[in-house]
Amino acid sequence: MSFEEEVDEIEANTLLGGAPFFSRPGGKIFIIWLVFTVIGVLIGFYAPHHLLPVMQSPEGGDVWATIVFFTVLAAPVAALVYAIAFYSLFAWRHRSEDPDVPPPDAEPQRGNGPVTVVWLAVSTVLVVVLLFWGIAVWSAQQVSHPNALQVNVTGQQWLWTYSYPGTGVETRTLDLPVNRPVQFNVTSVDVTHGFWPAVLGVQVDANPDVVTVIRTTPNKLGKFIVQCSQLCGLYHAFMNNTGDVVTSQQFDTWLQSNGATPTAAATAAGTSSSGSTTAMGK
Amino acid sequence: MRPLGILLTFVVALVAIGGVAAFFISQSYTSPNYPNGVQVAQPLGTAVVNGQSVPHVALQFQTYPDSTGSVAGKQVHPSGNPAWPAYGLSNQYQVPAHSLVTVTIRQYDSGGSLNNPWFAKVSGTVGGVATFTSPDGKTVTTNHVDPDNIGHTFTMRSAPGVDSAFFLNVPLPTNANLPNNQTNPDAGQYYTVKFSFLSGAKGVYAWNCEFPCGQMVASFGGVMGAYGFMSGFVHVV
Amino acid sequence: MTTAVAPPLLEDTQLGPKAGGFYRYQNIWTGLGFGIFLGFVAWLVSHATVQGSNWGTDMVVTCTMVAWVVGFNIGMGTFNAPIHWILGHDQTHEDELYAAGVGQGSSRYLKFCTDHKVVGTQYLVLVMVLFGVGGTLAMMIRTQLITPHSSFLDPQTYNAIVTIHGMVMIIATIIMVSGPFANFIMPIMIGAKDMAFPRLNAMSFWVVVSAVPCLLATFFLGGVNAGWTTYAPLSVQAPAAMDAFAMTIITFVVSVTVAGVNTIVTVVTMRAKGMTMGRLPIFTWGTVVGGALGLYAMPAFLAVMTMMITDRATGTSFFVPEVGGSQWLYENIFWIMGHPEVYVILLPPVAAVLEIASTFARKPVFGYKVAIAGFVAIAALSIMVWAHHMFTTGWAPNLAAPFMLTTELISIPTGIIFLCTIGTLWKGSIWTRLPMWFVYLFVWNFIIGGVTGIYLSDVPADQFFHGDMFVTAHFHYTLLGGAMIGATAAVCYWFPKVSGRMLNERVGKVAFWMIAIGIQVTYFGQFWEGFQGMARRIAYYNPHYETANQMSTAGAYLLMAGWLVFLYMMINGWRHGKIAPANPWHAKTLEWKVPTPVPLENFLVDPVVTSDPYTYGEGVPDGQEVPESAPAPEPELVPAGSAPGDQIDAGGAS
Repeated sequence: MSFEEEVDEIEANTLLGGAPFFSRPGGKIFIIWLVFTVIGVLIGFYAPHHLLPVMQSPEGGDVWATIVFFTVLAAPVAALVYAIAFYSLFAWRHRSEDPDVPPPDAEPQRGNGPVTVVWLAVSTVLVVVLLFWGIAVWSAQQVSHPNALQVNVTGQQWLWTYSYPGTGVETRTLDLPVNRPVQFNVTSVDVTHGFWPAVLGVQVDANPDVVTVIRTTPNKLGKFIVQCSQLCGLYHAFMNNTGDVVTSQQFDTWLQSNGATPTAAATAAGTSSSGSTTAMGK
Repeated sequence: MRPLGILLTFVVALVAIGGVAAFFISQSYTSPNYPNGVQVAQPLGTAVVNGQSVPHVALQFQTYPDSTGSVAGKQVHPSGNPAWPAYGLSNQYQVPAHSLVTVTIRQYDSGGSLNNPWFAKVSGTVGGVATFTSPDGKTVTTNHVDPDNIGHTFTMRSAPGVDSAFFLNVPLPTNANLPNNQTNPDAGQYYTVKFSFLSGAKGVYAWNCEFPCGQMVASFGGVMGAYGFMSGFVHVV
Repeated sequence: MTTAVAPPLLEDTQLGPKAGGFYRYQNIWTGLGFGIFLGFVAWLVSHATVQGSNWGTDMVVTCTMVAWVVGFNIGMGTFNAPIHWILGHDQTHEDELYAAGVGQGSSRYLKFCTDHKVVGTQYLVLVMVLFGVGGTLAMMIRTQLITPHSSFLDPQTYNAIVTIHGMVMIIATIIMVSGPFANFIMPIMIGAKDMAFPRLNAMSFWVVVSAVPCLLATFFLGGVNAGWTTYAPLSVQAPAAMDAFAMTIITFVVSVTVAGVNTIVTVVTMRAKGMTMGRLPIFTWGTVVGGALGLYAMPAFLAVMTMMITDRATGTSFFVPEVGGSQWLYENIFWIMGHPEVYVILLPPVAAVLEIASTFARKPVFGYKVAIAGFVAIAALSIMVWAHHMFTTGWAPNLAAPFMLTTELISIPTGIIFLCTIGTLWKGSIWTRLPMWFVYLFVWNFIIGGVTGIYLSDVPADQFFHGDMFVTAHFHYTLLGGAMIGATAAVCYWFPKVSGRMLNERVGKVAFWMIAIGIQVTYFGQFWEGFQGMARRIAYYNPHYETANQMSTAGAYLLMAGWLVFLYMMINGWRHGKIAPANPWHAKTLEWKVPTPVPLENFLVDPVVTSDPYTYGEGVPDGQEVPESAPAPEPELVPAGSAPGDQIDAGGAS
C-alpha cells in the first residue's frame, strides 16, 4: 500500500469515523494498548510473586503490594505511549523506493490544548494517588511499640554483630522471635554500612557515631540473610550473615545457649526494657 | 573491504579489552599470581571428629609488622610498605574440604584495642577455643582474650551463599612487652596461637584481619583496604 | 556590500609567518610534555617538603595533579591570551585567525583551536574514547560476575573498577551531547558565527582532557574503593587514589561550568536577527536548560570534593564523624549535585530526540512551548529532590514524605516530554532512517526507566530496593537506554554535517538491533537480580543469583558487540562514506542550510529568520534561510503566523 493510500485510509477511518472499531486507527491503537497493558500488569504480578524472596514481615508485604499497585497504575500510561509509538511506526511509516527522498510533509499539528490538559490532569491524579499510597504505607510503618524487642546492630568493616540489651548476648547471627515487634538500633564503628535484612522489608544505613532506628515485626518463621547495602570497602561483598525467625521458646533457648543468664533472657523475651529509643543525630 | 574492516574493528577492540583485563589480573593477587604462591596445608593423616574420621592437615603462617621485611630470602609482600603489617609469607591458603585443619599462627606484631570487642572472642573452632602461648612460654586455652591487647585477628568466612554459613574468628593477642618494628621478623619474639577447625564445602573462603591496624578513618584504611596484606582467600578444594 | 558575489572564505586567508605567536609551537605534545614536566617538579618539591608528615601522600598526589592540569593547559596554550593581556599587548586579528585553525589542516584537531566546529569534533572523539574506557571497565565487571565466586579480579581491583566505570560514564554522558553538538551544531542553529567565548570554549575541552589522566591514575594509586558516589567516611579512608579522583572532579567541574556559561551566553547574545527565543530550535532549548542546571549543580560537586581533599590532605574533618564531622553532610552536598546532574545529562539528548522526531515525522514539534515548559519544570524540580537518594540513610525520616512528593512530581513534566514525543510522531510521515530508529529505542527504554523509577520514589518500596541491582538496572535504562540512545540518535542525525559523509545505514541497522536487544537482555537480567535481592557493587554473590547474572553478562557482551559495529560504522563512514549533501534530511533548521563542510564562521551571508524552523506541511517558505549570496535584507521582526512571546529582539550578532 502506498503512503498516499495509507494516508487516505487514515483520513477515512478517523478515530471517531464510521468504520468498525477495530479497523479504525483508534481501535488498532486500543488493541496494542490493551496488549501492552496486560503484559505490564502480568509482569507486575509475576515479578513480586516469583522473583522477590519470600517476605517475612508486614513491611515486606508492603513492598510486594506497592510493586503490584504501582504497576497496575503505570502500565496503562506506559502502554499508551508504546501503543502510539508502535502504531506510528507500522501505520504511518513511509515506504518508498528511494530512501534518500523524504516523505511528503505530514499535516502540521503544533499542539493540542485539550489533549495536553487531559494528559497533565491524568498524570497529576496518578502522582497524587502514588503519593497518598506512599505516605499512608510509610506512616503506618512508623508506629513504635513500647514493648518491642531491642536489638543493637553494629556494623563494622566487614561484619554485622548484634547485641540484645539486658541479656549480655552478643552474636553475629540475628535470631528474632516471631510475631513480636522488634526495634533495631543501628550504628557503625567505622564507615557507613547499609543494614538490609531484605525479607523484613526494612533498610537503614549504619552510620558512625549515630544510632538510626528501624522497626518491624517478623511474622514468618525461617532463615534470612542480612546484607550490607552500602559499599564499605574491600570485603563489602562478604559482609553478610544469616538471621532466623524462630518461635519464642526457641528464641529463649537460643539466647541461653549464647550465654544469657536465664533471668536476663526471660526479661528480653518477655517484657523488654524500654531502653533509649530514637536517637536521631548525636 | 567491509568484512575486513569490521573484523579489524573487533580484533583491535577485543585485543584492547583483553589487554586491560590482563593488566587488572596482573594487579590482582588472586589466582594465579599470589605473592609468594599458594600455601598448601601439610597432611597429618586422619583425625576423628564427632565420631567421624576425616583428613587432618596443618597450616602454619605468621603476622609480620613490616611487609617489606625479608623472610627466608623472600619479601613478606612483593609490594610491601614499611608501615604496613602483613600475613606471610602467603596470603592464599589451600586446604581440603571437610577435613580437620590445625592452624598455628606466630604473631610478631604489637597491637592495641579492637574497634569492636566482639572480635576478642574465639568462634568457629573445634571446641570454640584456641590455645595461646605468650612469648614468655605461658600457655592458656580459652574462648576469649583481652580485647585491649590484640595484635590481629584471623577471621574467615564463606563467600555469600545461603547454605554455607561458615565463620571463624580467632584473636591473635599481643603483649605490651612485644617490640614493634622488628627489622628481621623471624628473629623477634612472638605469640603463638593454635586452633583447629573443620573446613566446609569446596569453594572460596575469605579471610581477613579485624584489628584496626591500618591508617585513616577507624584505622581501616591503608593496609586494611589493600588486598593481600591483612586479607586473602582460603581455597577449599 | 551590494554585489552578488560571495565573500572569500575566511579559511583561505594567507597568514603572515608570525601569526599566532606561541600558538604556532603549541599542540597536544607540548601540552603533555609541559604537564608531565610540571607535575614531576611538583612531585619532587612536595615529596621533599611534606612526605613523612601525617597526610604526606595525599598532599603529594594533590600537588602533582594540580601541577599536571595547570602545566598541560599552559603547554596547550589555554592561558596564552590572558597572559598577552596581562603583558599589555592584545592578540592581533591574524593571531585570532591562527587560533581558529586557519592554514593548519587537520593538525588543528590536536591544538588549542577556537573554532567551535573543531571543538565539537574534538569533544565527539573524546566522548567516544571515554565510552570505550567505561565500556571496557563494564566488561571487566560483567566478566567477574559470570560466576558467583569468580577469581578473575580481586575485591580491591573490582571496587576500583566499579568506581571508575561509574565516573568515566558520568563524565562522558554529561559531555556527550553538550560537548559535541552544543558546540558544533547549536551556534549554527541560532545563526551565530561562533560561540560567545571561543577561547573559553577551547579551554573547556582541553581542561576536561587534562582531567582524564587523573581519573585513570587512580588505578595506579591503590584504586578508589568507594563507588562513584565516594561516600564519606569511606572515601576519607580510601587510598591516595581518592585525591586524584577528587582532582578529576574539580577539573571537570571547571570545564563544565565554563562550557555551561558559554552555551547560555551564546544563546542569549549571539542569535541571528529575527531568531527570537520563541523561534529557537528545541535542541537549543535543551542545551540551554541543561547548561543552566549544570551551573547550579556542578559547583556543589567542586565544593564537596574540595572539602574531601582538605579532609584527606590537611586533616580537616568535614566528613569524619569520629572527630565531629558528618557523613550526612557529604551525602547531602553530593546529591544536591547528583540529582540535577542526571538531568544535565538527560535534557540535551531529550531535546535532540524531539528535534529528530520532528524532522523524520515531517511534522512540527508537538507542543513546542509545552516541551520547553517541561524542560524548565524538570530542571526546577530536580533541584528539590536530592534526598530521595537518602531515604534509607537515616537522615531526617520526617522529610521522606516531602521528598517523595517532589520526586513523584517530576514524573509530570517527564510525562509531558513523552506526550510531545508521541504527539510529534502522531500521524506523521514516518521516515525511518537510522536516527529515527534510535528515537524509537529511546522511547522504549526511557518508558521502562521511568516506570521502574516510581517504585524507587516510594519510600516503603525503596527500603527493599535501595542499594540493590534494581537501582542499577533502573538508572542504566534511563542513562544508557534513554540519554545515551538519544545521543546516539543525535550522532546519526548530525554525522553528515560533522563529517561531511553519510553513514552506512545497513551496518547501522545491524548495530541498532544488537544494541537494542543487548540493552533489554542486560538490564532485564539486572532487574531480575534486583528483585531477588542482590546488592549493588559486590564482586562475590549468592549462587542463587547466578542465572540472572549470566543473562546480564550475555546481554552486556551483545551490547559491546553492537557498539563495536556502531563504532565501525562511524569510522567507516568518516573515511569512506558517501559524500553528504548539505541537507540530507531536508530539515529546516539553519545548520542544514550552510554548506558541508561548514566554512569558518559558518555563514558567508547572514541568515534571515522569520519564523521557527518547524514549518513542515504548512505551505509557507522556510522561515530560517541562509540567502545564497545577496546581503541580508532587514529581517521582518513581526513573525508571520507565529505565537506571541516571539517579540524579544535578538540583538547581538550582526
